Amino acid sequence: MIKEMKKAANTLENQYIQKWKKSGGKVVGYSCTFIPEEIIHAAGLMPFRLRGIGTMSLSIGDSYFGPVICSFPKCMLQLAGQGTYRFLDGAIITNGCDSMRRLEECWRKASDDYPGTLPEYYEFFSVPHKAVDYSIAFYGGELRNMIETLEKHFGASISDEALRESIALYNEGRKCLQKLDGLRYSEKAPITGEDAMAILIAGHAIPREEFNGILKGIIEDLEKTASKAENKKRLMLVGSASDDLDFIRAIEEAGAIVVADTICFGSRTYSNLVDEQAAPVHALSSHYLNHSICPRMLGYYKSRLAYIMETAKKAKVDGIILQNVRFCDLHGSENGVFERDLEAAGIPCMRLEREYGPLVETGRIRMRIDAFMERIASAEVHAGE
Amino acid sequence: MKKETREYNYDWMIWSIFNAGSKVLDGTQKEYESLKKVIPNFRTLLDTVLRHGEPGVLFLKMLLEYLDSLVTAKKQGKKICLGTFVTAKHIFHAFDNVVPVWAEPMTVFGTLALRRATTEYMDYCCELGFTETSCSAQRGSLGAYLAGLAEMPDFMVCGAPGICDTNANAIQFMSSYMDLPLFQLNFPAKLTEERVMDYHRKDLRAMISFIEDHAGTRINEGKLRESLEEQKHQDELCNEFYDLMRLKPCPVPPIFQLFHYGGRLTMPGKKSYTALLESMLEVARKNAAAGVAGTSTGKERSRLMMCYIEHYTTDARFWEWLDAQEISLLPALIFTFWHEGANYTMGREDETYHIDTSNMETMLDSLSDLNSRMPMVKQLRGPYDAPHMWLDDLLGLSKILKPDFLIYVGSMGCRNSWGVNKLVQRDCEREGIPMMLLFADAFDDRVASWESVAEKISEFMHVRRIVS
Repeated sequence: MIKEMKKAANTLENQYIQKWKKSGGKVVGYSCTFIPEEIIHAAGLMPFRLRGIGTMSLSIGDSYFGPVICSFPKCMLQLAGQGTYRFLDGAIITNGCDSMRRLEECWRKASDDYPGTLPEYYEFFSVPHKAVDYSIAFYGGELRNMIETLEKHFGASISDEALRESIALYNEGRKCLQKLDGLRYSEKAPITGEDAMAILIAGHAIPREEFNGILKGIIEDLEKTASKAENKKRLMLVGSASDDLDFIRAIEEAGAIVVADTICFGSRTYSNLVDEQAAPVHALSSHYLNHSICPRMLGYYKSRLAYIMETAKKAKVDGIILQNVRFCDLHGSENGVFERDLEAAGIPCMRLEREYGPLVETGRIRMRIDAFMERIASAEVHAGE
Repeated sequence: MKKETREYNYDWMIWSIFNAGSKVLDGTQKEYESLKKVIPNFRTLLDTVLRHGEPGVLFLKMLLEYLDSLVTAKKQGKKICLGTFVTAKHIFHAFDNVVPVWAEPMTVFGTLALRRATTEYMDYCCELGFTETSCSAQRGSLGAYLAGLAEMPDFMVCGAPGICDTNANAIQFMSSYMDLPLFQLNFPAKLTEERVMDYHRKDLRAMISFIEDHAGTRINEGKLRESLEEQKHQDELCNEFYDLMRLKPCPVPPIFQLFHYGGRLTMPGKKSYTALLESMLEVARKNAAAGVAGTSTGKERSRLMMCYIEHYTTDARFWEWLDAQEISLLPALIFTFWHEGANYTMGREDETYHIDTSNMETMLDSLSDLNSRMPMVKQLRGPYDAPHMWLDDLLGLSKILKPDFLIYVGSMGCRNSWGVNKLVQRDCEREGIPMMLLFADAFDDRVASWESVAEKISEFMHVRRIVS
C-alpha cells in the first residue's frame, strides 16, 4: 500500500485522479495549506495540492517570474505552462507568500502565450496574516466568496450539511495522520521518513474517502512492522515547503531516519482538528488561521518554537534540519532564530538552504548532512565521556 | 562587523552628520568651503542637497528634527517604536511620549551618507541568521539595532503584512530575535470594498490600543487633529507640486522627489515638512514661470518615471546623474499618496482618502483610509493588473505626467515586485512606454555598482532612442 502512495506522490496526474476524472469528477488545484480542502470537497470536487515535481527545465518559469524568486512556484508555473496541469478544472492561488501569490498573475499571463493551460475556474484568494476576531471574520467572508464562486462555476451546492460532512471526513483523516505520527515518534518507528512523506503528500492528491481507507490499512500494517529506526539518528525536518522524496532519501541514506516534521506537505495540516460543533465556515476560518505554524502568520514565533520543541521531545529527535528553499525569507530567517534557541535548549540543528526541484545539488546536500550526522555522533560520544 | 563600526551608535552617527550638514550654510560660503575639507565622505551629498538653496537646507533641518527626537528619546523618558515606512506617522506624532523610528528611511540615510553605506549592518543581520536574500531596505538599519548600536526600541509595529513579506519578515525577525512586542497591520488584497475598509479601521484601532498599552499613555486627540489639519494643508501643496510636474519641461529639480517623499515618510503633519514643501513649490513655480526645467541647465532632454522606488546609492549620485543628463525625474510610482484633489486621482476618487477632523472617530477613519493608501500598501496588495493596483496606477500616472521611459529598480529581496515586474514591463511596452528592468539593488551597490547602473540606463536610452 505504501508503494501505491509513493506512486501517487511521485506522479501529478496519478492513477486516482485518472479514475476520478474518468467517472466525470472535477479536480481543483490549490497552492497552499490556507485553502480549506473541506470546501472544495463539499462541492463534490476533488482538491489537489499544486506541486512542482518532475520539472526538467525552467524555460517558462523564468520567462515570467524574475530571477530572485523561490523555485517552488517557478516549477509550478513551468508545469502549468507546459500543459502538465491540463487535468485541472480549477485552481486557487493564495498569498501564502509573495513568490506564491505572484504565481496567480504569472500563470494567467503565461496562458496567453500557452493557450489552454489555464483552468476555467481560476481564482486569487487572500488570507490574513494574523488570527484575531476580526481577521477570522474577514477570512470567513473570503471563504463565503470562495463557496459562491465554486457554486456558480461548477453548478454545485455547498450546504452547511455538506460542509459538516466534509469537515468530519477530513478530521477522520487528520486523526489517522496523528496516529501515523505517533508511530513515527515511537522508539521503534516502523516507517522511514521517505515513506511517511509519500503518504502525507498522497493525502493531498487522492480523493479523501479513498485516502482515509488506505491510510487505516497502512497504520494497521505498521503496528505490526519491525523498527526502521535501529542504529539510526532520529531527525526532524523543519522549514519551507518540501514534497521531494529524493531529498528525504538523501537525508536517510546518511544513516538517519526522519521521524517528525513541521513542513506544510507534512504535519502542519493535521496537528489540530476542525471544530465539528461550530458553524462550519466559522469553524474552518478559525481553524485555518489559529492552528497554522507557518511563519507567514506574523508574530507567532514563540508558539511555533514551542510546537517544534514539543514535537522534538515527543519524537525523541537527535537533531533538527532547518531547511529553506532559496529566496524563502520567511522560513530562512525564522530558521536562524530557531537555530539559536533550539541549540540553546540542547537540540543540535543544521540550517540548509537549497533549491526546490530535481536534486541538482545532491552532492552538496549529502556532504552537509554527513557533517551534521558526525556532529551529532561526536556530541553523543562526548556526552558519554 | 568591524570593531570601528561598533565605536559609535548608527543613529547617533547619522544624527551627527545631518546635524553638522544642516548648519553649514548658517555661516559664510567661505566657511562652508573650508568645512568640506574635513568631511570628505559627506561633502558630495552635502553639495548635492545644498546647491538647491533653501529647500536643501530645510530638508536637512527637517530630517535633523526627526533624528533629534530619536537620539534624545530615552533621555526624555520617551518610548521608541520601530516600524516600517508604510505606516501612517500621524498616529505616533499624536502621542506625548512615543518616538517612532522607521527602518527604511534609516537605511536610506546611511546609504546616502556613509562611505561604505550600510553594508556592514546588512551583513550583521545575516551573521545572526537573517537570510542574505531578504530586503536590503530593512537590513541596512536593522543590523544596527540588532547589534545594539542605536537607541533601542521598546516595541514594534509593522504595516507591511499582505503587502510585502520580506518587509514584514524583517520586523518579525527582529521582534523574535530581541523578544520585542510586535503589532502588525494587515492588508487584504482589495482596497475599496466596504468589508475591506471595515477591516482596516478595526486593525488601526487595535494598533492604537497596542501603542497605548506599551506607551502607558493615551493618544492625544488635540495633537492628532493638529497633525491631520497640517496634513490637509500639505496635501494641497502636494497637489500643486503634482500639477507643476505635468509641465514640459518639468520645473521640478530631480532631487525634489526625494525631499518630497522623504518628508512625507518621516515628518508628515509637521510644520517643518510644510515649510519644505512651500520652499520647493516656490522654486518650481519660478522655474515654471520662466519656462525652464528643474535641472541645473534648465533643459529637459527626457522625462523619467521610476515605476517602483528610486536608487539610493552613496552621495545621492542617482539624482546628480539625472540632473547632469538633463533628465527630469517624475514621482516614483509608489511614492504617490492618494490624497483627494491630486491630479492622478481624477476619475478615481473612490481610491483617495479624505481627512475629516470633526471628532476622534472621523479622524481614526480618515487615518485608516490614509494608512491603507501608503506607498506599496495601495498598489501591491493585490494582483498587479487588478483595479487600483500597480499597473492601473502606473499607466494612470504615465498618462498624466507623460514620462519618456520607465525604470524599475528595487531590492534583491523584493519578491513581490520581482514576481511580476517582467509582466509590468511587457504591459507598459505594449502601451508604448519603454521600460527598463534594472538588475540592481537600490540600497546595496555591491549587487551592481552605481557606475554600471548609470551605464545601463544610458545604453537603454540610446538604444531606444529616448535621447539622441
